[in-house]
Amino acid sequence: MTTAKAVKKVPQYCYQCVAGPDLYTVKVEDGVATEIEPNFSACEVHPGAGKCCVKAFGIIQKTYSPNRLLQPMKRSNPKKGREEDPGFVPVSWDEAFDIIGAKMQEIRAKGLVNEHGYPRAAASFGGGGIPTYYMGTFPAFLAAWGPVDFSFGSGQGVSCTHSEHLYGELWHRAFTVCPDTPNCNYVLSFGGNIEASGGVVGAWRHGEARERGMKRIQFEPHLSVTGAASAEWVPIRPKTDAAFLFSMVHVLLHEMPRESLDIPFIKHHTGSPYLIGPNGFYLRDPTTKKPLLWDLKRNAAVPFDTVDTDPALDGSFTLDAIEVGADEQTWTHNGFTAETAFGKLIARVQPYTPEWAEKTCDIREGTVRRIAAEYVEFAQVGATMEVDGETLPFRPVSIQFGRTVNNGWGAYECCYARTLLACLIGGLEVPGGTLGTTVRLNRPATTRQASVKINEDGFMYYPMNPTDKANWKAKPAVRNAHDTMVPLSANSPWSTALGPTHFSWMFMKESPENWPKVTAPDIWFCYRTNPSISFWDTKELSKRIAEFPFIVAFAYNHDETNHMADVLLPECTDIESTQLIRIGGSKFIEQFWDHEGFALRQPAVKPAGDTRDFTDIATELAVRAGLLEKYNEALNRGSACVRLKAEDYDFSLDTSKRHDAQTIWEHTCRAASAELTGGQASDGLDWFKENGLRTRPISRLSWYLFRELKMKGIRFEMPYQERLYRVGVELGNRLHEQGISWWDVQLEEYGGLPKVLDFPGIWEKETVRQAGADALQQFPYWLITSRSMQYAWGSNVGVQLMEEMSDSVRGHNGVLMNTQVALGMGIQEGDMVEVSSYVGTTRGPAVLSQGIRTDTLLMMGQFDHWVTPYAKDLHKPSMNSLIPMSMALTDSTGSSADIVRVGVRKLEGMH
Amino acid sequence: MTRYIMTADLRRCIGCQTCTAACRHANATPPGVQWRKVLDIESGEFPDVRRSFVPVGCMHCADPPCMHVCPSTATYQRDDGIVGINYDLCIGCGYCAVACPYQARYIVHKAEYAYSERAGANEEARFDPARMSVAMKCNFCQDRIDAAKETGLTPGVDPEATPACVNSCIAGVLAFGDREDPNSNVSQLLAENQFFRMHEELGTDPGFYYIFDKK
Repeated sequence: MTTAKAVKKVPQYCYQCVAGPDLYTVKVEDGVATEIEPNFSACEVHPGAGKCCVKAFGIIQKTYSPNRLLQPMKRSNPKKGREEDPGFVPVSWDEAFDIIGAKMQEIRAKGLVNEHGYPRAAASFGGGGIPTYYMGTFPAFLAAWGPVDFSFGSGQGVSCTHSEHLYGELWHRAFTVCPDTPNCNYVLSFGGNIEASGGVVGAWRHGEARERGMKRIQFEPHLSVTGAASAEWVPIRPKTDAAFLFSMVHVLLHEMPRESLDIPFIKHHTGSPYLIGPNGFYLRDPTTKKPLLWDLKRNAAVPFDTVDTDPALDGSFTLDAIEVGADEQTWTHNGFTAETAFGKLIARVQPYTPEWAEKTCDIREGTVRRIAAEYVEFAQVGATMEVDGETLPFRPVSIQFGRTVNNGWGAYECCYARTLLACLIGGLEVPGGTLGTTVRLNRPATTRQASVKINEDGFMYYPMNPTDKANWKAKPAVRNAHDTMVPLSANSPWSTALGPTHFSWMFMKESPENWPKVTAPDIWFCYRTNPSISFWDTKELSKRIAEFPFIVAFAYNHDETNHMADVLLPECTDIESTQLIRIGGSKFIEQFWDHEGFALRQPAVKPAGDTRDFTDIATELAVRAGLLEKYNEALNRGSACVRLKAEDYDFSLDTSKRHDAQTIWEHTCRAASAELTGGQASDGLDWFKENGLRTRPISRLSWYLFRELKMKGIRFEMPYQERLYRVGVELGNRLHEQGISWWDVQLEEYGGLPKVLDFPGIWEKETVRQAGADALQQFPYWLITSRSMQYAWGSNVGVQLMEEMSDSVRGHNGVLMNTQVALGMGIQEGDMVEVSSYVGTTRGPAVLSQGIRTDTLLMMGQFDHWVTPYAKDLHKPSMNSLIPMSMALTDSTGSSADIVRVGVRKLEGMH
Repeated sequence: MTRYIMTADLRRCIGCQTCTAACRHANATPPGVQWRKVLDIESGEFPDVRRSFVPVGCMHCADPPCMHVCPSTATYQRDDGIVGINYDLCIGCGYCAVACPYQARYIVHKAEYAYSERAGANEEARFDPARMSVAMKCNFCQDRIDAAKETGLTPGVDPEATPACVNSCIAGVLAFGDREDPNSNVSQLLAENQFFRMHEELGTDPGFYYIFDKK
């Protein structure tokens, strides 16, 4: 007779990618986790019907993998490097903490900042903030520590949508940008792989939209998953997206009737009517210094905020005004004949005809004209929609970008054109149109609306890093120098990791001219990140990591980065430990909720081996560093999720005592319940364990920022970029005062109106510079990449199920290349090929496809593993060992792209 | 009468393989054994290329070739249309696997696990020796459907009574229900949309419908 199994379903959340969180349950039979299912009880509040994507299903194998580290380890070989055996030996948690504690005390005794001004402690986490949702209270430990350098990147600036982060926040509080998919009818997607990178909610929303007839046109060099699910695929030449978009602007402004655009929006809700002076700055009222526009009602120049005006968009107007340039340089103009910003724009885009675009993008001019016309037609200029009792403009067209389009040279111009095209039809931040998701640079981060404040020129305030002489930081606070070099990166907790994160690695090897020496941190914490394989020029980067004197790795298994670690601390997996997080509101990639609240993950099964809950690890680190009180204070301030004390409630922790994980999360859950109910409820951890989540409804009006700008009398900062121009000139002045000229090319990107350059040519020229005159013959192809839903962000490359699932999606297994091209080279499906750039080589089986341009190759993943169990035996190619870390390929925001010129050859006798 | 069928809306499918992973979990199949799988199919020549994602598996045919060739009567057909396999009767001859036009059957002769010769705790907990050397395939999660008779839940509507692949689908591709009930979700979908069935010309009367456009 068999005994009935004890079965329970335990609510959890999945935040393995930036498109989360999603909600699921794990089925536990007799104490063993056996099955993942969507959390059906959440289907009414979760915008993806309560489902979770394929990645979540990997957590069970991950938990029971024989490759897990199950006890703390210390390094026995003091030499570090790829070729060195670290000689990890098991130690007790006490011994591990003794080693780390001694190091932390030693560092704190020396001072938190080293002799070069850099924090002695550094920490790196995987991208998108995801690790935060698994590291329990470690953020409170970091807050208690003091200055920490987060600028050793592991792909930030490349694997994210970097330019969108910075310019999106500047123009419409959009750390990421997406269509209002539930209401949108026409989407132009430039390399945006939403069906792979948009997570459950992205897939769900776009599936619904396609069924009701939304048309999406996909522009990209290969036919991705998203291209497959689109109405049309346009195989654009790599890195020419900006040319196509500017040509669309040309068609709208030079070929279509002006009245087909949203003229009231352009006049009253953008900076289009502002008058431009001869030095490229706004003409301003001499008394108030406010930018001027020409009022057709008064036939006179008036300050931008004058009531009851009819601003002129076109034409020349003679006036007296002042112009204020960089470093407060001021010019006075009498009787100057000025043009509007809009007029300047019309002139700027005049050369970008569809015929010009055809040559640049390899797309027929008729296609450019047809798509531009469809874009305007679908926009339904003049239409409105009711949202929660308010009437808002309705413009159901949008433009979406993926990475590479959004990174490095050419990305700024893409972001600019996209935002401008939305403004021209009145479709920015309105129902159906182009929306931002959240803020990460502006503050407060509670809502996008809360961060909207007017500046003196009638646009949104933006927290630029200072470039004026008195306040510019000549000496960077962190090693990637984002605060010195990238004004747009601002200075929020996210800013450091968004800057040029490759600079930290590059400058450690060799500082550029007249630059402060960059040194290794005394202690480096790393978690859910593996820059040894996930960034560029991975061989060189691994050498830099090997130079770090003391590394603490929170480790699931042995990998290429923790190979250099001094201590490995094995933490519990997602379903073995506890954490409460915020859910709801609006967040990347397309997480738009009608609710907000909190969700819990919890121990569904006992921790394997001697692994520990990350919260208990963080608490012990705080104790060993002598920071318990500060750590508890940080928890009380809300560092781990929610403030433990507010006007309506007080669930503060006693700051003098050590609290275990369950106590900390009990207090946190009670505070969360109270926050959501205005102090009415105080349900704790047990309640959340049973229910999994707690939410309250929010208005969908919070999705659309236009309403907020209109209420506050703020214009979108389009089309003229006076602020960026000023910042660029000032930054140039500061750098030149320091004798720094190696950023001059980047400084050219700061201008009033962007230009379309030969962006592919920048990569081609660098290839020739590095590899010689015949380099383009030697490396005739573009190598690009594409997002994988199965792998991206998940730290799951060692999970068998993910390999099996990805195996069914074309491109994961090798080097994707055009069938005709391959056959012409004698390469058959499955033949081993070697792909080389001037940096390195990689190899893998050829995957032949008609769905890729003849000048392009594609590699999906980052599989250069040489230590990670399971992954190291996959023998898949990785583009990371082919891409240089290069100043020349870095744009003014500190970003470059996953693209490189390569050659390919068949490896005879290998299959 | 009842005939349970599944529909797949090809406009929605993105080939993410979530349904496949969910099926692997729900049915505890070993690595590589995918009762539900999604094909990634390319057609045409550059630049006029289409890429399609097509969920496949047992079609639960009304006239199943696999059943007709089964020498041991292990393969059977239920009154509700579900085609099943009695592992106690199956001799693992493989005739059914050859006869199935949809390549929906698997036979595993040796226990295989995710990482090694040794089962993980989850694999150990769910290992079923009855499945060795017998034919296996999708059974529309028939245990859930059978349980629904007791609980009163509606297959295809209530998650507890619905196949795991349908429950898990993140793009709303898959639906399940009774084709004979004109008010069921699947009957409504088929009334409103154009569809086809795979290899219909073979006369198998498959119970898996592919929706591709509105009527």
